[in-house]
Amino acid sequence: MPRVYNWQLGREMDYPYEGRRPEKQFAMIFDTNKCIACQTCTVACKTTWTPGRGQEYMYWNNVETKPYGYYPLGWDVNILDKLGVQEMDGPVYRGKTLFDAAPTGEVILGYLPEDLDYAHPNIGEDDCTGLMSQGAHLTLPHMQWMFYLPRICNHCTYPACLSACPRQSIYKRPEDGIVLLDQSRCRGYRECVKGCPYKKVYFNAQTRVSEKCIGCYPAVEGGRQTQCTISCIGKIRIQGFMSAPDKANADNPLDYLVLIRKLALPLYPQFGLEPNTYYIPPVHVPPVFLRQMFGWGVEQAIATYRTVAEDRKLLGALILFGATPEISHYFRVTGDEVIGYDGKQAEIVRVPLREPVVIREVYDIKHKAYRTNIT
Amino acid sequence: MRPRIAILLSTALLAWAGAASAQVALTAVRVAGVGPITDPQGAVWKQARPVHVAMLPQTVALPHNDHPAVHQLTVRAVHNGGWLAFLIEWTDPTLSDRIVLDDFGDQVAVQLPVATTGAPPSPMMGNPGGRVTIMQWRAAFQRDLDTAPPTVRDLYPNAWTDVYPDEVLGATDARPYAGALGLENPVSRGRASPVLDQMAEGWGSMTVKPDQRALGGGIHRDGGWHVVITRPMVSDDLNAPALVPGARSFAAFAVWEGGHGEVGARKAWSPWTPLVIAR
Repeated sequence: MPRVYNWQLGREMDYPYEGRRPEKQFAMIFDTNKCIACQTCTVACKTTWTPGRGQEYMYWNNVETKPYGYYPLGWDVNILDKLGVQEMDGPVYRGKTLFDAAPTGEVILGYLPEDLDYAHPNIGEDDCTGLMSQGAHLTLPHMQWMFYLPRICNHCTYPACLSACPRQSIYKRPEDGIVLLDQSRCRGYRECVKGCPYKKVYFNAQTRVSEKCIGCYPAVEGGRQTQCTISCIGKIRIQGFMSAPDKANADNPLDYLVLIRKLALPLYPQFGLEPNTYYIPPVHVPPVFLRQMFGWGVEQAIATYRTVAEDRKLLGALILFGATPEISHYFRVTGDEVIGYDGKQAEIVRVPLREPVVIREVYDIKHKAYRTNIT
Repeated sequence: MRPRIAILLSTALLAWAGAASAQVALTAVRVAGVGPITDPQGAVWKQARPVHVAMLPQTVALPHNDHPAVHQLTVRAVHNGGWLAFLIEWTDPTLSDRIVLDDFGDQVAVQLPVATTGAPPSPMMGNPGGRVTIMQWRAAFQRDLDTAPPTVRDLYPNAWTDVYPDEVLGATDARPYAGALGLENPVSRGRASPVLDQMAEGWGSMTVKPDQRALGGGIHRDGGWHVVITRPMVSDDLNAPALVPGARSFAAFAVWEGGHGEVGARKAWSPWTPLVIAR
């Protein structure tokens, strides 16, 4: 089996195909500290791509509450349980990936969910880890907590779905790393559904073949971010492209946040797929939980996040989230503004680092009324 | 991975070659009539001698099926000068013809080398340069034809949705929302035959032919399947063998027990069985 380099694990690993990185990699960053699970992203995706027959249960984008929310039911705890306890202290992962743990006769360790596992998309929603006792007050990290986890297909560098398909119906585009499932070629074996640990491939019982997130490629090809990103009212997301890990460009906002500042972390890197959606971890959640989910860089990422107010370039990169529907290939902080540029270095957006504050009089003389909001 | 497959393939072929001379040939006897032979309960089958075909676990290509549910097929063959037909029967107490995420359908396939002279290609879906034609019957297609293709409400009686694109848009605009159906994926639905007419030149190369010639019919009765697969003996299809009375070739089989989670490579397969087309 070929050996490929997985930068998230800091080591080489086995993968059924030769490792060929795309020219640029579709990637997304989510700031979990800002997500309120309003599901606007979910609805934007749903109405754009999956309103058809057989797609009723499909949420190519979903937002679930952690630790008790899952779609499908138990997707992550199920595969973590099958993988077993692994050593993951970093900076090099010494445990098994899902490819290392593949049973004899299988490409990857996986499981096929039951139909009913998709029956409760909002299970665990807003459920906290426990109750606050009388008189208790929250400290950081919180002793009782929950947070929201928005999810799309990770468009992995080493996709499990692609490797599990015996018909090569799934392919990764060399130009942008988007992983697509050929609707003409698929024969509905569901090996991809079984293999993807994130359970982001869905079987369509009407068409009898599988479907998945397409990374909004028609929009992305036109320089526009995905529907889930541009519809996010909380401006928690940015979508763009990442360079190869050894060619990180500090002027690329995604490279800067992920590869250089390591503020945003991959989801379950130990699976070994090199997923390309990245999460700024929630600051209020105990790191012991977050380390399992986002890897060993969690404490450092949270520490970095706390310095954002004094770190102009980092602040500038974060302010680009939700600032424009177009893809920011480059960014620059100049004066009190951050500027986003497209792939041809043309300016597409300019945002002040600090929003101008105007304080109005509490009493409105003209209307003879007191104002409740004066800023 | 490839050297391992090659070794296993060679071992399997050698084992088959050693046993082939002792194998009972499947003789397609001549029966009266014209046109396709598709009735698994037809009287013609009484004239054909059954051959029992041992079915082996598929353990060559990933993913494996170490413990297949079906171990033997009973096969009969007939022809009427125009159409060659196989009756394939096996024990399967569970009828699996509902396809949802975690339910798979029963299937059976017969494979013929395209070339009728020389050594046969690999019995495992052929090999580069060794083309095979594969006719695959599916229980789900049979149900589609016997009743109707199931709607979402048939599959999920409590399903509810406010509106579908095809209810408010014209056919052209609604087509992108139909997924594989919009692209006329041959495994989806809306077929005229329960049998897919296909060709292959090795693992992963299975291709549905643009011109579908294979027909058939299946019935689940007395705890098992009784399936007929038939095709014209001679046609202008360059990817099908021309089998005339007196010809000798080979046939191989594959079977999937949907209730056992068998699909794709997770199947039971057989080596070549000699096939004789009676004069």
